[in-house]
Amino acid sequence: MKKHVNIGSLIFKIVALIVLIFGVLMILYPFYIMIITAFKTQAESAADFFALPATWTTDNFLGVINKSNYFMYFSNSVIITVSSIVLIFLFVPMCAYAIARNMRSRKYFKFLFYFLLCAIFVPFQVIMVPLVIYMGWLGLSNQTGLICLHVTLASSQAIFLLTNYIRSVPPDLEESASIDGCTTWGAYWRVVLPLVKPMIATVLVLNALWVWNDFQMPLLILNTVPESWTLPLFQYNFKSQYTYDYNMAFASYLIAIVPVMIAYIFAQKYIVEGLTAGAVKT
Amino acid sequence: MSAKTATARPDTSKPPKKGSLHHVVQVHYLFTLPILIMYLVFFIVPMFMGIFYSFTDWSGLSSQFNFVGFDNYGKIFQDDDFINALLFNLKYTVALVIGTLVVSLILALLMNQKIPFRTGFRSIFFFPAVLSGITVGLIWNELFLKVVPVFGQTLGIDILSKSMLGNATTAFWAVLIVNLWQGCATPTVLLIAGLQSVPKDLYEAATIDGANAWQRFKAITVPFLLPIINIVIITTTKAGLTIFDYIKALTDGGPNKATRAVGLLIYNDAMQGGKFSYAVAESMILFILVAIVSFFTIKGTSNKEAGDA
Repeated sequence: MKKHVNIGSLIFKIVALIVLIFGVLMILYPFYIMIITAFKTQAESAADFFALPATWTTDNFLGVINKSNYFMYFSNSVIITVSSIVLIFLFVPMCAYAIARNMRSRKYFKFLFYFLLCAIFVPFQVIMVPLVIYMGWLGLSNQTGLICLHVTLASSQAIFLLTNYIRSVPPDLEESASIDGCTTWGAYWRVVLPLVKPMIATVLVLNALWVWNDFQMPLLILNTVPESWTLPLFQYNFKSQYTYDYNMAFASYLIAIVPVMIAYIFAQKYIVEGLTAGAVKT
Repeated sequence: MSAKTATARPDTSKPPKKGSLHHVVQVHYLFTLPILIMYLVFFIVPMFMGIFYSFTDWSGLSSQFNFVGFDNYGKIFQDDDFINALLFNLKYTVALVIGTLVVSLILALLMNQKIPFRTGFRSIFFFPAVLSGITVGLIWNELFLKVVPVFGQTLGIDILSKSMLGNATTAFWAVLIVNLWQGCATPTVLLIAGLQSVPKDLYEAATIDGANAWQRFKAITVPFLLPIINIVIITTTKAGLTIFDYIKALTDGGPNKATRAVGLLIYNDAMQGGKFSYAVAESMILFILVAIVSFFTIKGTSNKEAGDA
């Protein structure tokens, strides 16, 4: 095993590298096309779709920003994502904590845990059709309604992840805190929350990406009111409007991807952890 | 463990109400309220509303409706549109599960070798996972029109030389390619983590005993990966059965309804107006399908997890 690094394993490694490089090209090539096209004029693309731009023009980006309210959609997405994440942070760990500490001794909490878990088995399409009418009845066919839905649909998986995590944290610390005069809320907020920070970070990153990228729910709830569109919804509608302007279409995709790309570069560890934890438990 | 909560210091020296177990539990009940209320209002009520109306003939617009029992369900199974959509989903799901497992297993095995730039490869292969499905779909939509045919023509591959989205058979594969392009990212990372959990000395022992690479893979790697493979199968199956974004962005169900998945059909029926109870009944069938699949795969997983290291 260690003595002779034989030719066979060397060849295998070279083949592995070649396959992986081919895969990387498959992943990166669409981005390459997107970038070069976004910086070219329509005439240039018509002449040669694959050539690098002769002059890197920003007209397409300006076009997207001028012809649409890009910044409005961007801020809509930010508002919806941030509000959902704040609400998830406030309500979900609190609920998971109560469940984790009582589910062995009190039926209500045990029931609640499995009751919330049910949603994992229900495909979104099941509530999608009623939601169209129901959210209208509630007067919530708007961003507020969308935020409520995001928080609700995030809660099943998040409670599952957090409850199991909190149960692995011994209750001694919060008990001594409450003996020292901490209120139950204080014990939770100042003692428990800091201890479960890693899992909360995972849950929040996972859901931030999910909310930011979601297309189906905004399409359902917000599509008739353009002022309330999120970025994915804007992209979809923009594309149907400017079908033949590839350059501007690619520019619009690129400016939508850049924020996520930046987040990925700076928080890759958390994002990978969050998405894989999410996959494991869904 | 259960004794711990029950005997949570009943003997405190001071008797203040605040610290008492009784009070604590009352506050804990309050802690669960916001989520419980939201869950009831935004999930349970619409779900039961769906179940209820699936047994009526309500159009969604009229003020009146009648109970029609299982009429909607009966109609659905005679509806070619629905049957075709369901068949599309089943075929697509099988292809997606196999494709995802094969591609991500190969990538994971290769990236588990001692090769240069391992972390770099991993970062790049994972990146598609953070993008919105609709963005990915729209980008590939353009690529299938402008880029893929050029490759097909240069390489002399017939299927690729025309737009794959314009033909019923190739459109299926086009959607699958895009789905795999993005969908293999997370399974690959999960499988890499699984591979790294296999104790190295097992391989060494097997090598000394004369096992070849394939035997080692079959006898050591696969059993260790089984729990993860199960997870991948569950999530991919669900994704395949409920696919929506890619199809909306790539084909919108076309050409000629060939890629109209159940999710899209339900959406179209729900938005079209006048078919409310029918659309709801369609979604119930998808529900049952997903529930059955999840149940069996989860049962399989929990059995396997007992043997997991």
